[in-house]
Amino acid sequence: MKHDQPELIDALAAEYVLGTLQGAARRRFERWRAESWHIDRRVETWDGRLIALAMGLTPLAPAPAVWQGIEEKIRLLEASRPAVERIRRPRVALRALAAALVLCAIVGGGFVAWRMTESLSLQPVATIKGAQGPVVWSIELDVRHQRLRAVALAGAVARPGHSFELWALPGGNAAPVSLGILPDAGQLERTLSQRQWSALAQAGKVAVSLEPLGGSPTGAPTGPVLYVAEHKKNA
Amino acid sequence: MPHSDPQNADAELERLIGACAAHDRQALRSLYDLIAAQMLGCMVRILKRRALAEEALQDVFVSIWQRAAQFESGRGRARGWLMSIARHRAIDVLRSERADLYREADVNQVPEPAAEAAGDWASAGRSAAALARCFQELTGEQRRGIELAFINGYSHADIARVTGEPLGTIKSWIRRGLASLRRCLET
Repeated sequence: MKHDQPELIDALAAEYVLGTLQGAARRRFERWRAESWHIDRRVETWDGRLIALAMGLTPLAPAPAVWQGIEEKIRLLEASRPAVERIRRPRVALRALAAALVLCAIVGGGFVAWRMTESLSLQPVATIKGAQGPVVWSIELDVRHQRLRAVALAGAVARPGHSFELWALPGGNAAPVSLGILPDAGQLERTLSQRQWSALAQAGKVAVSLEPLGGSPTGAPTGPVLYVAEHKKNA
Repeated sequence: MPHSDPQNADAELERLIGACAAHDRQALRSLYDLIAAQMLGCMVRILKRRALAEEALQDVFVSIWQRAAQFESGRGRARGWLMSIARHRAIDVLRSERADLYREADVNQVPEPAAEAAGDWASAGRSAAALARCFQELTGEQRRGIELAFINGYSHADIARVTGEPLGTIKSWIRRGLASLRRCLET
């Protein structure tokens, strides 16, 4: 794609939105769109420009079965991903277990102390959300095992061919350091390298960018930064 | 359904999209009640077959449920964002092999855009006023080509068949029409 030809890009975006860009050209343009935030914006612009043409068409009430179909599809979708509730349940169970262990501790047991240490080793890192939207991810750190846990809470879905990537922002002139890909749903855990661990320890903030599938190919953010959040150690 | 107060209507749609991002199923139902009929009107026009359009409409609402967190609020374009998802889905289905089974038989049976297709500028928000003004600056052929493509989902070849003009002429109408629109909208 010749990214230095804005008029060509704009013309293709217009024909894509119009629907007259077809076949292999349409598929190729969709790939370029997935790779370039700039092209995506041009498509959005043309969508916004032309959509008024479709606003005046006579509305047609859908059959009742349509809503039933939507509910069923969403039910299957939710069932196929680790739902938030299912992620939270183990936490509730852990708390109950901790309480039980504390009770047992009255009788005495080193095991209790071990469990408590486990629980205390989990520290919040960041709550990632838009200016007005819900929390999208909760980031936690298992200090004891130097592992990062990212929990998807609001069903963020990257565009096809893209991934969300988390970055530590050490501040000053230091470059962002990747902390890995974020999940669209459910949770991901990974052990941090020493470099990642140090960068996160120094970071005042973390950020999320949209990257090609699998993460930035350069080691630095290449896509738009979608979210920035305070590192909770500063809170 | 066009709303008497576009700004309030858009604010309500925006609020509901935000609630969908928080996994509020009732909000999705409310969104459906507000806009599904308008979406289906647009999608049937493109897909020609109601059953095909209703199936695609289901995918649209599943997509809204999944993508609600990505909507950038505060830009006053909730209706446009929702309608674009519906329209793109209809175009995707139309261009798929499955829809090809239907299209050839149907394309000559669909009425040309009538007065209703001239755009509902009021319900489309502020940017629509600019489009209305710029649309009037196009030639009749350019307007017709763009409307047939956007509203009916016609390809260049479909438009050539309907109008009886050569394919190259149709491509030129549309290309020049879009370029004129862009120049007009950016000044």
